[in-house]
Amino acid sequence: MIPIVKTIKHKVVSAFHLADEVMRSKAVETIEYEAGELDNIFAILVLGVFIGIPSPPIHITMALLPDLENELEIMLQKVSTAHDPLGDLFSVLDID
Amino acid sequence: MKPELQFYIGKGGVGKSTTSAVTAVHLARNSRDILLVSMDPAHNQSDIFQQDFGEKPQQISNHLVVKEVNVDYWIEKYLKETEKTIKQTYSYESAFNLQNYFNVLQFSPGLEEYALLLAFENIIHTFENKDIIIFDMAPTALTLRFFSLPFISLIWLEELLKLRDQIYAKKEIISKIKFGRREIEQDKVKAKLEILINNYEHLRDHSISDATKINLVMNTDRLSFSEAFRIKKKLKDIGIKIESVIINKAQSKAVPDKVKDEFNHQKITLFPRSSKSLLGYRAINEYIDENNEIFVY
Repeated sequence: MIPIVKTIKHKVVSAFHLADEVMRSKAVETIEYEAGELDNIFAILVLGVFIGIPSPPIHITMALLPDLENELEIMLQKVSTAHDPLGDLFSVLDID
Repeated sequence: MKPELQFYIGKGGVGKSTTSAVTAVHLARNSRDILLVSMDPAHNQSDIFQQDFGEKPQQISNHLVVKEVNVDYWIEKYLKETEKTIKQTYSYESAFNLQNYFNVLQFSPGLEEYALLLAFENIIHTFENKDIIIFDMAPTALTLRFFSLPFISLIWLEELLKLRDQIYAKKEIISKIKFGRREIEQDKVKAKLEILINNYEHLRDHSISDATKINLVMNTDRLSFSEAFRIKKKLKDIGIKIESVIINKAQSKAVPDKVKDEFNHQKITLFPRSSKSLLGYRAINEYIDENNEIFVY
């Protein structure tokens, strides 16, 4: 194959892959947000003892704590947007 | 074969320690291999046998060993292990100030019954070769919390697992759309929840198994009756049934009507009041010789 055709083909394929990746990411944005919210609820439920809400017996919290690193991070991120939950939701739904 | 588990429960001061010690000595005299365990943080077995006991079981006779569960030891052991695991994960723990939480965790509500549960789990695994393990329990409140703990833990764990399943299902969809057929990483939290559920189901099954006998000890006074009735109701609520009722320090050979009516499905045994104090192995043996009819089944 002529090198220039090869290069064009390669660029078209990469562009297609990039577009595919973007579209796939776009398609799961809402569900990702939902999963993040559920992770946050899970962390709040398990770690309720630290923030004063009804929580499981302390041994359950302590048993799960070592595996909750990701949930802790999500919970801390959510704290920063907690004062504007509607704004957070509108940005996910692409409402300006 | 797994050992039979016998629990002696009841109001404080009714004679759980004495009746459990007498039963343990009697069964050991009949060549049954017995472990008598005091689960009451205010231990009495040392006073009854006039000998010091601790976590390490002490041989009393050929077939009888006695140990006292040290709740503080189990709390400390649990906290140390938890701290170690958490420090391994959160090596940057100073950022979360976790160390400060550990200092106050020892005062957390529920830790005492959890320590008892850990000790119980350890005992049933360590002494599988015994014929019978007799547990001399703490007074009502702590005992009820001990029995309820696996049930309450399971309610929480099952709800958390449901939520975790929802999260996992969503992450699976995200992974399929984003990355095609690529497998989603195993959810560590879900796996941990399943292990915990399995453990607590095992512990719960012990308290409702046919090989577990709950003996409710009471005296003939009204307060003791009332508390015994409440214990029966509370245990029934969580599906634990009382196998037998022991009326300790009985002054007559007749079972009070109120007890007969309330506990018509249970075996009722009368332990007559002893004319002398039941302290020491010899005194217990003399009591058994004098009152051998107690143990006619």
